[in-house]
Amino acid sequence: MPVTKAYPFEPEEAPPEYRGLPRINPLLCIGCGACANVCPPNAVIRIDDYSTGTRKIVLDVGRCIRCARCEEACPTGAIKLTREFEAATDDRNDHIEVVEMRLARCRNCGNFTDYTERQVQKVLSVIPPGILDFERVRDKLPLCSKCKKSLTIINASRVGGEWR
Amino acid sequence: MKLRSLWVFHLNTGACNGCDIEILDVLTPYHDIERLGVKLVPTPRHAHALLVTGPLTRQAYYAAKKAYDAMPSKPRIVIAVGTCACSGGIFYDSYAIRRESDRLSLEYPRKGGASEFLPVDIYIPGCPPRPEEILYGIALLKGLVEKKVKGEHYTLKELVLPRSQFNAWIELLLRERIRKEIGYFDGYALLEEFMRLVEKSNDPGEFKELVERMKDEVKDSRLRYGLDMLYKHYIEVVRMYEGILAEKKVVLGVSK
Amino acid sequence: MIEGFERKFGAVLEKKTLGEKKVVYAPMISQEDFPEMVKFLLSMPTVRLFTMVGTDERPFEDAFSVTYWFADWKKGEILGIRLYVPEDNPEYPSVASFHKGALWFEREVKDLLGLRAKGLPDPRRLVLPDDWPENDFPLREDFEYHSSPPGERGPQHLPKMEGTSVHAIGPYHIALDEPAHFRLFVRGEEIVGIDYRGFYSHRGIEKLARGRMNYNQVCFIAERVCGICGFCHSTAYAQALEEAGKIEVPDRARYIRTILLEFERLHSHLLWIGVAAHLTGFDTAFMKVWAVREKVMQLAERLTGNRKTYGLVVVGGVRRDLLDYRVSMIEKFIDEMREKFDEVVNFLLSARSFVDRCRDVGVLTKELAREWDANGPVARASGIDYDVRRDFPYAAYPELSFDVPVYTEGDVLARAMVRIDEVRESLSLIEQAIDAMPSGPIMAEFDEIPGGVEGISAVEAPRGENVHYVMTEDSNVIYRWRIKAATYNNLQAAPDMLRGYTIADAPLIIASIDPCYSCTERVQVVDVKTGKVSVVNLGVGLCP
Repeated sequence: MPVTKAYPFEPEEAPPEYRGLPRINPLLCIGCGACANVCPPNAVIRIDDYSTGTRKIVLDVGRCIRCARCEEACPTGAIKLTREFEAATDDRNDHIEVVEMRLARCRNCGNFTDYTERQVQKVLSVIPPGILDFERVRDKLPLCSKCKKSLTIINASRVGGEWR
Repeated sequence: MKLRSLWVFHLNTGACNGCDIEILDVLTPYHDIERLGVKLVPTPRHAHALLVTGPLTRQAYYAAKKAYDAMPSKPRIVIAVGTCACSGGIFYDSYAIRRESDRLSLEYPRKGGASEFLPVDIYIPGCPPRPEEILYGIALLKGLVEKKVKGEHYTLKELVLPRSQFNAWIELLLRERIRKEIGYFDGYALLEEFMRLVEKSNDPGEFKELVERMKDEVKDSRLRYGLDMLYKHYIEVVRMYEGILAEKKVVLGVSK
Repeated sequence: MIEGFERKFGAVLEKKTLGEKKVVYAPMISQEDFPEMVKFLLSMPTVRLFTMVGTDERPFEDAFSVTYWFADWKKGEILGIRLYVPEDNPEYPSVASFHKGALWFEREVKDLLGLRAKGLPDPRRLVLPDDWPENDFPLREDFEYHSSPPGERGPQHLPKMEGTSVHAIGPYHIALDEPAHFRLFVRGEEIVGIDYRGFYSHRGIEKLARGRMNYNQVCFIAERVCGICGFCHSTAYAQALEEAGKIEVPDRARYIRTILLEFERLHSHLLWIGVAAHLTGFDTAFMKVWAVREKVMQLAERLTGNRKTYGLVVVGGVRRDLLDYRVSMIEKFIDEMREKFDEVVNFLLSARSFVDRCRDVGVLTKELAREWDANGPVARASGIDYDVRRDFPYAAYPELSFDVPVYTEGDVLARAMVRIDEVRESLSLIEQAIDAMPSGPIMAEFDEIPGGVEGISAVEAPRGENVHYVMTEDSNVIYRWRIKAATYNNLQAAPDMLRGYTIADAPLIIASIDPCYSCTERVQVVDVKTGKVSVVNLGVGLCP
């Protein structure tokens, strides 16, 4: 009794639990780089360019081992493993997905910080009401790490008066 | 060039054997790659194509180069099977791997594997690739199917935030919790459903009723357990939050 | 074992306890007493050499350390003896000069750390590539994991014997599935001597884990040590780390791990039966057995997301749960599988040609199996009653009941029967685990694991015992990770199995060990005529 499947002449879908190719949804990604930190073979990397102020999250499907650690770690659910498995190609550039976004500017010194504008938006959206003074928090962000350190010391050494 | 039958030689440059077993599996009756005319041959001198697996260790490099040179000069096709052969895989920068390019650089497409020393014609990634993927790759080489992957470069400006304020904060806390109770795969989908209930109801009694009704509809005992845990943890967080707010009101009242 | 050892040598030792029945001793006097201690331990009838670890402890102890671990399988105890070797005089007394099973451990430590064993019988390079320069030792702390110093290619083959000609086979050959090189010294058609060069799959995994990975990422690279027993390696690593950090794994996670470990045993044994049939020329049985095996792979894909690399283990539990519908798929599968397996095994064993080629071929006696520290089905077919699941229980095995098949003939047929019986036991174990599965969370909550703690854990892979040893450092990083695979010991016994049989039997005999080259990359062989021991791989082929 023949058991041979008709694939590749007829289409076939992978089972619903299958771990296939990862895909990033650019509307949800905030560029935090949690996926790049946990990826074992460094298939997802985070490239920062401080001269133009951009951050690129680059996913190379040809190095992915499909472990789904990125899906577990992503705080917004932007990167997910789909059920696709037909990834054969003759050009490796077909395996690359890039999401590009802008880095935030420090409101004190004007240099680029090491986080993105989208991260600021996301952080502001997850503060529950009534715990912190929302207006004051929004004015304090964004700051680069150097300015944050120096302003903290300046504010701590003041007695009374306006906080910077 | 039209290829009718493809005689391949299997070349293992230091792999873990996962891809090699899938290559053997693709010869068995369920997938039967012999329908596409593929046969394993004993020597590279009879072969049209090389099926390369493995991340190319330093020890295996010399013999692998000789096997490639031993193939007849037309058509010397090279097929890289598996993530390790396409780009070095998880071992890409180890001391025992042979690389011509820089190991630690952040360039893309990521380099490594068979393309370091051979001109590759088809890349088939996967760890290990399903037998259907290998069938698809050979069919692509022979021109029987169309290519499906495409590179993308996104520079969109808008960001979609499905939830805000309290619901967004509690979603993050519950996400971590459900990952430990029933795992990320089923848990995150269940969490979406739960958050939809949270947004629907304003009244705690009504909310509890909605959760109970969802538990009755869901047939699976583990998903019911997950919903129980989510509800319990949600109530804990709400109580803690209300406690903090109550304290703050007291403090603010005194200082004013 | 621990009591007897302490009674005899207790006064001169510094002791550290790792667990209920696991201790490490560091002799405080000179190294010369060390061989006597080892001989005392190995003279006990149920003690074996478990593994051996060389560590660069110069940052905190100012010397290298070499630890020999011994296991008593009747009492379930593990004992380690640690020697400190100073940097300016890196020598220590060799155990391989009187115990055969320690040879490769010492050659490996010499390659990777530069510590020489005094009296080592075969000092050639074992692990590192041929073009590696002489004085660079990768496992030392001052060596970066990604630096790869260039060198000149200099293979170290044995010189040609008198009156023979050399016939070189490999590394790429039809009979070999993995690259391996061997040179036969032949006199006419008869093989009189063999030289072997392996380690084409050495990928530097232990150094990679030290260099750029944190705890949970190491589980994924452990899975890719071997394509067949990968899940056993990642479970053994997670267990070693959980023991070191005193993390309690939830009950449901232990049961899920057990079910998948048995799945791996099923698919590996079915693979072996097919390959053994193929090597005796019985290709019909090969295709039939692999068609049965395909059902196991498809079910694994539905349970875990991938046919082979399951990716389920993390430190502290598992990542995916078994929902109700998946459990009912497993139950249906077991009923079908029992029938189909019995049918296909009856078909295979009814063929007189297969049974006659396996009977009384490749016999390994019980004494030799003890000397070489054989384990797994090879040892159980020679009468040694040792199974890690019963003697050093882990995961959910303490609560499940199963039989351990032991045969005494020691030939290829006995090894085949051991594996066939084990498949039936696995099906019964999976059923028991499903019936008794508890509910609850699947991952444990835990704080940081402290630095400087050690753990050692063994798992019964389809081939034998896989032993993992872990030592941690501060800030959640691994300091030393040592993998010992099952085939490490079994392949050393291969020469004794081959002695006296014809060349046509050789591939079948080597396949009957079920060697896993990517786990080990080590093979030993015996010279047929002169009895000299060197290293060989006789082209096993399709059994990776």
